[in-house]
Amino acid sequence: MNKALKNYSILLILLACLAFAVVMAVGFGAVRIPAREFADVLFGKQTENSGILLQIRLPRVLLCLIIGAGLAAVGAVMQGIFKNPLVDSYTLGMSSGAALGAVISIVTGIGFSIGDISTTGVFAFIGAVVTLFFVYNLARNKNAVAVNSLLLAGVAVSYFLSAVISFLMLLNHDSINHIVFWTMGSLSLTSWSKMAMAYIVIAPSIIALMVFARELNIFALGDESAQYLGIDVEKLKKILLVICCIIVGVVVSVSGTIGFLGLVAPHIIRMLVGSDNRKVIPYSALLGAILLIASDTLGRTLIQPVEIPVGVMTSIMGGPFFIFLLRKQRQ
Amino acid sequence: MAVDCSIRIKNLSFGYNESPVLRNISLELQRAGFTSIVGPNGSGKSTLLKQISGILKPDQGSLEINGADMNAISKKDIARIMAVVPQNTALEFDFKVMDVVLMGRYPYVNRFKGETQKDREISIENMKYTNTYHLRDRSFNQLSGGERQRVILAQALAQQPKILLLDEPISHLDLQHQIEIMSLIKKLSIDQQLTVIAVLHDLNIAAAYSDYIVMMKDGALHHQGTPVEALTAENIQQVFNIDVEVEVSASTNKPYIYAITRNQIKKNNVRVHVICGGGSGSDVIPILHNSGFEVSAGVLSIGDLDWKISKDLDLKVAEDIPFTKISDEAYNYNKKLAMSADYVVVTDFYIGKANMRNLEIMLEPELAEKSILLLGSEEIHQRDITEGAAAELYSRITAKGFAKAVSREEMYHLLNKAGAENE
Repeated sequence: MNKALKNYSILLILLACLAFAVVMAVGFGAVRIPAREFADVLFGKQTENSGILLQIRLPRVLLCLIIGAGLAAVGAVMQGIFKNPLVDSYTLGMSSGAALGAVISIVTGIGFSIGDISTTGVFAFIGAVVTLFFVYNLARNKNAVAVNSLLLAGVAVSYFLSAVISFLMLLNHDSINHIVFWTMGSLSLTSWSKMAMAYIVIAPSIIALMVFARELNIFALGDESAQYLGIDVEKLKKILLVICCIIVGVVVSVSGTIGFLGLVAPHIIRMLVGSDNRKVIPYSALLGAILLIASDTLGRTLIQPVEIPVGVMTSIMGGPFFIFLLRKQRQ
Repeated sequence: MAVDCSIRIKNLSFGYNESPVLRNISLELQRAGFTSIVGPNGSGKSTLLKQISGILKPDQGSLEINGADMNAISKKDIARIMAVVPQNTALEFDFKVMDVVLMGRYPYVNRFKGETQKDREISIENMKYTNTYHLRDRSFNQLSGGERQRVILAQALAQQPKILLLDEPISHLDLQHQIEIMSLIKKLSIDQQLTVIAVLHDLNIAAAYSDYIVMMKDGALHHQGTPVEALTAENIQQVFNIDVEVEVSASTNKPYIYAITRNQIKKNNVRVHVICGGGSGSDVIPILHNSGFEVSAGVLSIGDLDWKISKDLDLKVAEDIPFTKISDEAYNYNKKLAMSADYVVVTDFYIGKANMRNLEIMLEPELAEKSILLLGSEEIHQRDITEGAAAELYSRITAKGFAKAVSREEMYHLLNKAGAENE
């Protein structure tokens, strides 16, 4: 009874924090908008700042929410697949791969767009898939994939891809601002249609990942034992990784590379509720949303009028956390 | 009610990157019971288990379970028929024991409905059976090796399998836990009519618990049968290349295997003939033999302790019928052995009328050039049961220099020196 209460209480706290974060995020900025006005606008009233709220802040905050949730869910799932808490889309180079895919589509002009929605996301997805495939095979020795090699390969490939992106930037001065956006991660170019697209793709993808939470739990026993229990491990890994790549592709195409979120959120959640992925995935998604909204709000408001890209904010906070994890794992 | 479950393997071959690991294996396991697969490292026994469990697919040949081809059964259906306990399980992410056991219900759980009350009941029942119910709220990774193995066993049983495969389930456990786990598995094979197939390292554990033994070497089946049939000294010598002695217990009809430790003896090519009897050579003969001397002995009564020891060591022995005077034939053979030796040692045996000739031999002119070492000349009177004749002979021999009276220590010292020089 007590345990059930504890689990629910964590869920309730997370939901409350999320609501609080949204209200605070729409309130803070160049113009301070009180929560009451936000409530009025939500109920359809026209106020002084309703334009700022509806056209600028709300889409941005809602985009933060789904992106944070998506990245954290991807982190939780990839950690389950590779059975290591240091794995996520950023450390395996998927984010950089997605960014390169997006940049290529921009500089070559292959991509086309319908309104605000462009095919950049598709290129980002392809970039993520190709990178993951490459990193995975780089780390593979016969049939065994050592996680250490995987992380090393991921970081190395990630650096390489960043360098390629920088090189493309040098060659394409015209679109440099555009490209910087992908390497640093930013949400400043948000619109309702972008946000809608992110929700349409990411929300069902997170749910799809949650459907496989039980299998992910069994992965913790090891791949062989999972097979003994009737799971087609290789097939399921592919399915899950493709879903992860879809999420990462869309996230990168709308916001650039945002690091460490997928590492921090699942770790904190595991400390609170244990390793059961049926909780870890949704709770991590909620925490990821909270953390990203908070990071973005801080980035927007800390040194106004300069806006710190959200990717810079998450890396400033997440980098030390990653080192902390590394040290803890060594002990 | 016996739910028989058969496994039929036909001409199965398998290899990693062209090098064959399993060669043309045919095996049929028909009914519930405990089968052990034994063999040296690299003999392919774990690979065979992985074939049976479906983790690896054969390159050639077929594998049937209950008459159905393995490939035709879905993974989930296989998981309902067969459970596997690996060598050692550690979780990368920690779970509660109860959750780990519930994972065994995976093949039965509907994705969207989750575990039912029935799944919980089955899990709890098996935790009680394996004595892990009290651990249900503990974290799996904090348990001891034996406890973990019992939890994994409970998980496997929650699959409600007909076949239980175990890949060296006890190799990481201490003796007490080994026995505990093996007894539990044995009990299962009987209580739940399970077909148990275990890869085991320890031949004595395999002998004690199995109904059937399969011996493998170099990827092929070598012998199979009941423990008594399969685990003979000859088969073990062939498969493991070790010398063992096998003793079959009269009460349980189970073999017990002892390793014979044969020291590699470094021969030194010095020949020593030992004239002894009545146990007086029982120390000298093995010590000299193990030091690398080529030892012979004589004249010994058949059945005498020294005779037995010499025969066990496969030495040349001049022998004769007990309690009779040494025959000419035995005497002459003894002389021949003494003449061909570099040293002759005469031990401190009791001297009676029957074995007087074992002393008289020292007077042979043909042995005059030999170094004869005579033990125990001081207390000859205590060993003389010839009313003084032997003692008199002794003093003649030593006085005239036919032999050199030495202590045991001096004898070993002399011989070892000779042995070392000859190496």
